[in-house]
Amino acid sequence: MSDTKLASQVYKLYAEFFDKAEQERRWNPYRDVPWDRVNRDASEELALCAETFFAVESYLPDYVAQGINIVRESFGQTWFSANWGYEESKHSIALMEYLMRSGKRTEEQMFDFHDQLKKLKWELPFTTAQQMTLYGVFQEMATFFIYCRQEARAQEEGDEALRAIYRLAARDEIAHTRFYQSVCKLLLEEDRAGVLADMAYVTKYFKMPGVGLVPNYDGRVMVMRESGIDRDTFLQKVYFPVLKHLGVTRQELVESSKAIRGMEPPPAFYVGREEESRESIPAEASQSAAADAAE
Amino acid sequence: MTRTELIGLFEKTATEIAERDIKGLSELTEISSLGIDSLGILELVGEMEKQLSIQLPDDQLVGLTKIGDLLDLVEKRRKLAS
Repeated sequence: MSDTKLASQVYKLYAEFFDKAEQERRWNPYRDVPWDRVNRDASEELALCAETFFAVESYLPDYVAQGINIVRESFGQTWFSANWGYEESKHSIALMEYLMRSGKRTEEQMFDFHDQLKKLKWELPFTTAQQMTLYGVFQEMATFFIYCRQEARAQEEGDEALRAIYRLAARDEIAHTRFYQSVCKLLLEEDRAGVLADMAYVTKYFKMPGVGLVPNYDGRVMVMRESGIDRDTFLQKVYFPVLKHLGVTRQELVESSKAIRGMEPPPAFYVGREEESRESIPAEASQSAAADAAE
Repeated sequence: MTRTELIGLFEKTATEIAERDIKGLSELTEISSLGIDSLGILELVGEMEKQLSIQLPDDQLVGLTKIGDLLDLVEKRRKLAS
């Protein structure tokens, strides 16, 4: 397939994604969340989870700036990134509004927290457009699953406003997953061996975007764990379904992972691991792989 | 192949993947204690499948905590295969 043909096919995927979003998925965080149904008595744990997701979504300027530039050669993917940024921005707005309207946090606390977040900068976890596209598949799917879990939890606590936020955000996340998956399918048609090697590399060094950035991330993850995602859940709900959707077998990926043995982790892998020296992180000590990092 | 031999195969494959010596394992050894990441574990399982000419279903790889759990699964599949 020529570069032009591939670019044209990716654009068609974007057009389909965008058209569907405009027709069926647009929502307004100020108007489409039933704010009168916030449960002010919901637990602090629920609020802490919302605050954590708000924090992760708050690195949007970095995600957009760096994410859009790495795919700028692809018209479809660049325009997708712009749209992705718009949709993700609503997630952080909705969560911030929730925290303030529920009385769980004051406006001052939210802006202080944001100030704290701004001190660190997210860096691209991988260095090529193809690797970032593969990263997008797993990351968006994991986020979709986590938001679904949170939606159920909000429902259990009788918080219809938060439930609606997670439902709307999860719907966006799965749409993003599907777009990335469709692009990956095209890339697999182009260079299956190369894509599989990158997939093995990305899953080996995968980490969720908040790791090393959000204050007290590990403590927050402990709170989330029950309704979050552990290693087995990641394999069952994210990893295997993604492979199945892409038509990749576990055995194929196992073969590809041999090709990446001994390869250096991407530079950003060390962010948030300052306490460990680079020399101490080789394969055996790495807690990298997707499933582990998702915990 | 006996279970002891299967543990031997597990150790050999784990050593190859971790690129360091892994020995002295037992059925009670926690897989997570090996310091091999999740992709590595899948690689290890894949290698064992190849060596033993069996295929383990993806959904049954979830929830394996001890080496003995994996051996149970392997033996079950080998019986089915034969």
